[in-house]
Amino acid sequence: MTVELIIVSVPIGVALAIILGVARVYGNKAVSLVATSVVAVFRGFPAIVTLFIIFFALPDVGVYFSPYWSAVLGFVLVTGAYQSEYVRGCIQSVQAGQSLAAQALGMSKPQEVFHIILPQALRAALPGISNEIIYLILYSSLASYIGVQEIFGVARTFNSLNFRPIEIFLTAGLVYAAIATVCFLGFRLLERRFRIPGLGATR
Amino acid sequence: MTETNVVLKVEGLQKSFAGNKILDGVSFEIDRGQIKVICGPSGSGKSTLLRCLNLLTMPDKGRVWLEGREITNEESNANSVRQRIGFVFQEFNLFNHLTALKNVSIALEIVKKMGKDEAKALALKELEKVNLANDAHKYPAELSGGQKQRVAIARALAMNPVIMFYDEPTSALDPHLIGEVLDVMKKLAQEKLTSIVVTHEIGFARTVADEIMFMGEGRILEHGPPSQIIENPKHEAVKQFFRRINELYRRDEQ
Repeated sequence: MTVELIIVSVPIGVALAIILGVARVYGNKAVSLVATSVVAVFRGFPAIVTLFIIFFALPDVGVYFSPYWSAVLGFVLVTGAYQSEYVRGCIQSVQAGQSLAAQALGMSKPQEVFHIILPQALRAALPGISNEIIYLILYSSLASYIGVQEIFGVARTFNSLNFRPIEIFLTAGLVYAAIATVCFLGFRLLERRFRIPGLGATR
Repeated sequence: MTETNVVLKVEGLQKSFAGNKILDGVSFEIDRGQIKVICGPSGSGKSTLLRCLNLLTMPDKGRVWLEGREITNEESNANSVRQRIGFVFQEFNLFNHLTALKNVSIALEIVKKMGKDEAKALALKELEKVNLANDAHKYPAELSGGQKQRVAIARALAMNPVIMFYDEPTSALDPHLIGEVLDVMKKLAQEKLTSIVVTHEIGFARTVADEIMFMGEGRILEHGPPSQIIENPKHEAVKQFFRRINELYRRDEQ
């Protein structure tokens, strides 16, 4: 369940991060204000509070999500908000000349952002994004508090039956560590795969 | 000279930044096949002029016509205007994440909507023109400054522009790399590609330019054939400028 949570949340979270990052840099006042607010809220709230709001508070206003989808939504919002900061910073650190050259060739703004700016910004953002994804793996354990039977939740159930906290929680921790390590190595491969000579953080 | 021969016409161009008048009424015309060199001290508005002419910067006042159609009015589309103007930057501004070949072909693909193979073939042809066919697979970081600038020229040429703008194309280069870029530019000049070149390379201006326009304080102070402007300028500021440049060269020769 942990792996499934992450596999679903990560791509949507990254997509949200890119959308928020682009909206904050290139959006008009209204768009950028909305994006900035979303980021401020979900970076401001503790992840567990966000999850509780989605699972316990939203039903009060008539919006229901299953525990699993509450967790996915919460993780997407939280990780999207955090990652969008990396994306924004990396967009802004792409040299101004890149944008000028794109414009001088007659590219429209969307063409420029999609073909010139983002490919460079996202490469630079990869290490930061991988960091956030590892955080996401770790705080996926919070999903157990809204009834998702993921690793930590299962561990707690086992412990309440067997009272062997050392073995059980150490094992749970190692499982998280294993998933995080796989993710870390995956991103290393990804960085190497997209490495371009002379391009900033992916060197 | 008939009107259709005028590639670019500029009338009363003005631009201020934060209250500073950078362009203070610039007017000129350039005919098909002409090479004009713009000289002048830094801060005289040379780069701003070029950027206003392809709408990278919007002028405050004045009008510009490209091949007889006004580009400074509401209806004109900046993107389609820029497609027809080749722009070469002082700092090259190659796309860092793309190979030399892809730097040249990307706008062909996404702006001109050319097929991938066709764009690639054309890009390779343009790289051949600047003697870089063998380096097509390299990334900008793997190229020397002179090579980068030649890729940038190929990238601009590939779009088949009606006019080329060069904004101090050799100023960011080590001295020993300037020659290879100037050679390419000379070759293009011989092919009668209409160009405006902002440069302090007086040798280049003397041999290649049809006219030198000398800018100072946001205006064209003096213009005319290179020999006249370099050897026999009338305006005091122009005299001083070339005296200083001549002194510099003479000192180099000693």
